Amino acid sequence: MAERHNSKQLAWRLEQSAENSHSEPEGQSRENEVSVSTVSHSDEPSQRDETSRLTVRVENTYQLGPTKHFPVATVNHILKDVLTAYLQEAEYDPEFCRQMTKTISEVIKAQVKELMIPRYKLIVTVYIGQRDCQSILIGSRCLWNPKSDTVSSYVFRNSTLFALANVYAVYFE
Amino acid sequence: MEEYHRPCDEVGFNAEEAHNIVKECVDGVLGGEDYNQNNINQWTASIVEQSLAHLVKLGKAYKYIVTCAVVQRSAYGFHTASSCFWDTTSDGTCTVRWENRTMNCIVNVFAIAIVL
Repeated sequence: MAERHNSKQLAWRLEQSAENSHSEPEGQSRENEVSVSTVSHSDEPSQRDETSRLTVRVENTYQLGPTKHFPVATVNHILKDVLTAYLQEAEYDPEFCRQMTKTISEVIKAQVKELMIPRYKLIVTVYIGQRDCQSILIGSRCLWNPKSDTVSSYVFRNSTLFALANVYAVYFE
Repeated sequence: MEEYHRPCDEVGFNAEEAHNIVKECVDGVLGGEDYNQNNINQWTASIVEQSLAHLVKLGKAYKYIVTCAVVQRSAYGFHTASSCFWDTTSDGTCTVRWENRTMNCIVNVFAIAIVL
């Protein structure tokens, strides 16, 4: 069966100093004033980057919960827009979809980051599959604080493929 | 009130441990079974719940997100990708792929650290 599983991680560091992780030839990095991001693509469950293992101790903020909650509806719209824009006219093709899953997850993450919701960590997952008579079930369970953490999801279908995008937002206490 | 210091013998998420835990759960639920439309709901729910329960038993200060996709084995293609915005020193992920004659199962575990 033609099945590919790709995963990638984006690093977000608290420290100022830039440490670029060793990445596959496709990796790229960009830097802005306070954070360094690196992109690496791997076809195996990722190994941890060789970075500092010291835990960062942050000062107490005395905050009990998020000041601004995660806007689920807005993110739903973002997912809908991105998936429709990229996949409306697309036909299922293994190489194309392989690249598309990675691209779409990066794009969604970038757009949700632009919303600038403070203190939220994001996990974006994208599933794309060929559509025709086979059966598939995708489910998830989360152990978190339901008052602050949430999930947003959208399914897109056309004649040859289906795509599911999930965004999990976890409050960083 | 005394502050709780968690025993810090390892930093970061232990992906191997999680991998073993999840693999056992999937083997337990799907091992020897054939794809069956009626049971699929139940199976994904048990895989996810059991994995979560075992991960929690590790007693580490993490929030967990476990996703499971079960696909019928066919000639049709399937792709997944994930992108995460977090702190790489403390958070981590692990993916388990499992298959048998009639189906494929992909389980993703994302662990986000809680700072106590």
